[in-house]
Amino acid sequence: MKNRLRVLRAEREWSQADLAQRLEVSRQSVNAVETGKFDPSLPLAFKLARLFETTIEAIFSDEN
Amino acid sequence: MLCSFKNPAEHRYVIRMWIMAAFCVLFSFVAALVFRLCHPHGVLSYLVAVLPALPIIGALVYTGVYLAEEKDEFQRNLLVQSLLGGTGGILAVVTAWGYMVDFAHAPQMDLVWVYPLFWLFAGISYGIVRSRYR
Repeated sequence: MKNRLRVLRAEREWSQADLAQRLEVSRQSVNAVETGKFDPSLPLAFKLARLFETTIEAIFSDEN
Repeated sequence: MLCSFKNPAEHRYVIRMWIMAAFCVLFSFVAALVFRLCHPHGVLSYLVAVLPALPIIGALVYTGVYLAEEKDEFQRNLLVQSLLGGTGGILAVVTAWGYMVDFAHAPQMDLVWVYPLFWLFAGISYGIVRSRYR
């Protein structure tokens, strides 16, 4: 699953560690989601959407 | 190592595992001492012999508790995959060994090795699973 996490993070000048702290997860988790190696659960996807003040669809897409 | 906890659930898990390991050593020592000095018989001998297994069972329970307490779903996923690897690995070994005992009269495997081998396979699995996300 593709995502725009890196872009959204860069816009806010957040490091992976900053985002991880805001999400209350490990930096490894953020990296795994960001690189598309781990698909987050719906609650985590909603948490990301709330944090970036956007929708889940605006962050994630199912294009390969 | 003890100072590098990433979250409270992991902190509690490591502390609990150390406590269980300490009890396992203590109970092993107590059981060995009781058998050497008192030579228990019957039900009492079974009760004393099972003492060192209790902290091991406790460690397995606390692993389940950690999975319930860990809020980071990625870390949970890593541990679940590792535990599956550990379970699969030890099942494969004891099954193969069982057939070797049955057909080739190989020596019986001491069941005490099942638990450490389980964690050995789980550790190897963790390394493999973790490397996939790098």
